[in-house]
Amino acid sequence: MASSQATTKKDDKAAAESKPEQQQAAEQKPAALEEDDEFEDFPVDDWEQDETEAASGGAAQHLWEESWDDDDTSDDFSAQLKEELKKVDASKKR
Amino acid sequence: MSLVVQFLSSIRGFVLDQNGDELRNWLLVENDVANIYWEMSTQLKGSFPANSPALEKLVEKCLPEEDDVPEGKGSPWPGFNSFIKEYLEYWRDVDFDDVVRLHSRLSDLLISCANALANPTYGNMLLQTSMSLSESLSKLVMSLTRQPDLLSQIQGDMTGEESGERKSIVELAADIIQKIFTSCLTDRSSTRWSPPKGKKVAVYLFANLTLKLLFACEKSRLAVQMFTNLSTSGPALSLYPASQRVTFLYYLGRFNFDHGHYLRAHMCFEEAYRQCLPQFQKHRRQILTYWIPANLLLGRFPSWALLQRPEAAGFADIFLPICGALRSGNFVLFYQALTINRDWLWDKGLYLTFLYRLKPLVWRSFTRKTFLITWQGAGDGGNRAASLSFEDLVTTAGYVQKLLEGYLPAKPATRSRPPPHINTIFLKAVTNSAAGGETGESDSLLVPPPGGPRRLMPSEGLIFGNKKPDLENIESVVAGLVYSGLLNGFIARQQKRFAVEGAKKKGGNAVAAGWPNPYESILERFKEAHQEALDACDSGESMEPPGEMDDIPGWVRNPP
Repeated sequence: MASSQATTKKDDKAAAESKPEQQQAAEQKPAALEEDDEFEDFPVDDWEQDETEAASGGAAQHLWEESWDDDDTSDDFSAQLKEELKKVDASKKR
Repeated sequence: MSLVVQFLSSIRGFVLDQNGDELRNWLLVENDVANIYWEMSTQLKGSFPANSPALEKLVEKCLPEEDDVPEGKGSPWPGFNSFIKEYLEYWRDVDFDDVVRLHSRLSDLLISCANALANPTYGNMLLQTSMSLSESLSKLVMSLTRQPDLLSQIQGDMTGEESGERKSIVELAADIIQKIFTSCLTDRSSTRWSPPKGKKVAVYLFANLTLKLLFACEKSRLAVQMFTNLSTSGPALSLYPASQRVTFLYYLGRFNFDHGHYLRAHMCFEEAYRQCLPQFQKHRRQILTYWIPANLLLGRFPSWALLQRPEAAGFADIFLPICGALRSGNFVLFYQALTINRDWLWDKGLYLTFLYRLKPLVWRSFTRKTFLITWQGAGDGGNRAASLSFEDLVTTAGYVQKLLEGYLPAKPATRSRPPPHINTIFLKAVTNSAAGGETGESDSLLVPPPGGPRRLMPSEGLIFGNKKPDLENIESVVAGLVYSGLLNGFIARQQKRFAVEGAKKKGGNAVAAGWPNPYESILERFKEAHQEALDACDSGESMEPPGEMDDIPGWVRNPP
């Protein structure tokens, strides 16, 4: 087993490791809904925290809506329920 | 010199240099290797028949234990030589077409590697090889679980488990990888709270690999032991590279999600997402795929700002209809929203969770809506306590149940132009109503469809399939909502009503008092449960202290 074998292998590996860097650009496009379920290995091992949202005050960004209050009863669904209540009420009084 | 001897001679060089990277580069096991491995395989077949001691002797001769090892250098050790002998036997016997045998040989080889890795002096140099062999075995197992024929061959082949219980190949592979994980975890080169050294550097690499395997094979519950071990003696996650931290938190979030701990899942996903670089959109999308559902189940909706991010492309179409149905309490829209994206939701393991776990939130909004359209106010003197009649709820729930069963309006609706959010089933029903006529039950706006009501699956009805909601059902639904904190008040059984509490505190706003903010209510319920656990511990009822509210088993944060 010549050591050149291993060197070639290693070079291949190094080439493979550099590829994902280029793929990052390709990942910018919006992902389709059909995707792989796997959480892939990251192309780089480590990065600085100040490049992430954790450092740029991500918590302050408005990501979640907690408000549910929808007091509108003029929608069609409410109108149907109102009508049904009226009708049932009337039939009870008969 | 034969190829086998050349190979062993190179291996010896790497061992003496403690060169773990080269050992990994040379100790390959997959079939995409250079021709020279196949030539070595042929030589092994020709010169070292099975059951002959010749191979072992050759390994001992080529890899002698060194007597005086200089500082920074290494030496072969017995466990390593056993592993190398097994490695050569692997290449002698391997047949990549016979996956049953391949699986068995690769498993044995990894066990042998794990044993060699456990050596406290030199084991470290096999860390990279252990990783690469573990990856190869995981890959094989994941591919086998997608091929039921081969899987049954392997599982049928495995006999003699002592307890009579047969472990799946996923469990077996996870066991071996976890053995390596434990070997790394118990390495004493560094403490829990100091930068990792020795085998400890690979704790989260092996944890992540095990988790990847377990999740790919839908066996996440098997990760419990690993999380327990991490909680007991694991090094702080913050000491490890970002890629390992984000991957680990993603899987820990998935684990908690799968086991109904949505608050814990949210905390893991939040940290994973925040620590993941924005350009890793695919990873952030994977996190969002479960982070958004965890928040829906906690009573929070994704904001527009979040849904407009590139990694959330297409998610608005899936989640907004569900949010709309939750807000309006419209069960018809709720089932529609789940049905439209059923394949995607099912694929992600979200469909059934949403179907059952979001239903109480729809009921919450539905009871609120019924209250809004029936409550007439506190009367002239303002003395009447705000309450919701169960009879009214039976009527409105009965109406919705009929819609779900395909009932049609007895007469066309009088509205000239439906608002844009009108539900399509109702619209269709109106269109079809010409055929319905005035026949049917006179005490409802709806009449049964031609051919009779649609037969519903148990999960599709308001209560259970075609069960018509009655007073008892409604009372138990409301009791459940009160218990979970989604409704604030009590049940007045005599009056058959739900009585709202605390309206005065809310400035007389009975709706705000009776139907508090769901997210806050759910969080409050968690706090109460935590307090109950603390109290139980204080009073000696429970020996297990619950820890802090935000403690998540498996997530080792800072030193206590």
